[in-house]
Amino acid sequence: MDKNLQRIISESSFESDTIREDEGYLHVRVSRVHVLELLLSAKQRFDMETLQLISVVDRIEDAVFQLTWILEDSGGTSVFMISADYPRENCTVPTIGDIWPTAILFERELHEMYGIDFPGNPRQNEDFLLEDWRELPPMRRDFDTLEYSLRTYGERRKRTHTDPREYIADSIDEWDTPVPMKDFER
Amino acid sequence: MYCNKLPDKPDDRKKIWDKVDNMARANSLWVTAYGTGCGAIELRPLHTSRFDMERFGIAMRPTPRQADVLIISGYLAVKTLKRVIRVYEQIQDPKYILALGSCTINGGMYYDSYNTLNILDRYLPVDVYVNGCMPRPEAIIDGFSLLMSKIKAGKADGWKHYMENLEYYRENQKKVIHNWDLPDYNW
Repeated sequence: MDKNLQRIISESSFESDTIREDEGYLHVRVSRVHVLELLLSAKQRFDMETLQLISVVDRIEDAVFQLTWILEDSGGTSVFMISADYPRENCTVPTIGDIWPTAILFERELHEMYGIDFPGNPRQNEDFLLEDWRELPPMRRDFDTLEYSLRTYGERRKRTHTDPREYIADSIDEWDTPVPMKDFER
Repeated sequence: MYCNKLPDKPDDRKKIWDKVDNMARANSLWVTAYGTGCGAIELRPLHTSRFDMERFGIAMRPTPRQADVLIISGYLAVKTLKRVIRVYEQIQDPKYILALGSCTINGGMYYDSYNTLNILDRYLPVDVYVNGCMPRPEAIIDGFSLLMSKIKAGKADGWKHYMENLEYYRENQKKVIHNWDLPDYNW
């Protein structure tokens, strides 16, 4: 771990757990009230210029979303990651779109995929990937994708036995769709 | 600006000429250059020199208006389905659909995905399925030769089926595309 990364932690006035440290790499967990302060000081005083990503882990067992901000310095030599836990119900996270404009896009994605609210983000209610999604946000772990897929898109009839001759004899006059094509020599 | 009128139902009066027409159609297939999923990567070796599909009279066209085959190459997301419907309906009759990969048949490895269709023939009339994940270019050539023999036999009538059962297909399409802002038929 280089000195610059060391100084971010040693010069901060609050507690932080180091999750992993390595050459040019530091991952810390802090309380969520200190996140903005740490992000700002990392950018302004310690040359962490680039926001690479905001990632989320849905820890449904602990009823939290673990957000991780991944920063990189201007030379691309060291990576600094900050994690914090936010409660899962009505999750609200302050936006950092005015510090790194690229965060506006990342936060839009998290809002669509996890339902996390970023008050102050001007574009968070725009569609990111899904068009007109009406269910629970799909990447949350309490969203049952298999059940949704079967309910919405259906399922093809499965084989009842494995002998191909019997199977073909059984199904030669059947088709899944209610409106069958005239011939199905396919 | 678009035409609101639905297309006419196909008539069977030209049956004798259809045999001649089908012979010509089968030997000159023009494919819309449009890839929907990972399967589109298998079309590159197919239409370049390694597998060279032009020796069968198959070539790519950049717009649907000039083409008569649409390849659904792999998984089809709901968002893409809307675009595919636009592309398919703009192709002039007769038109054929070749569906590649397990994803179009029964969902494949995306069977439990929240955003990809499981059964393609509920939304669009498929003439030939090529299975595999992904099918190799040889398999796609085999699918094309099956499509050619179906056209020559006058049995590749998925587009007629689409016209005759447009309500059935529309109902299924609107079930998954919630913000339906397309015209009644995409001329």
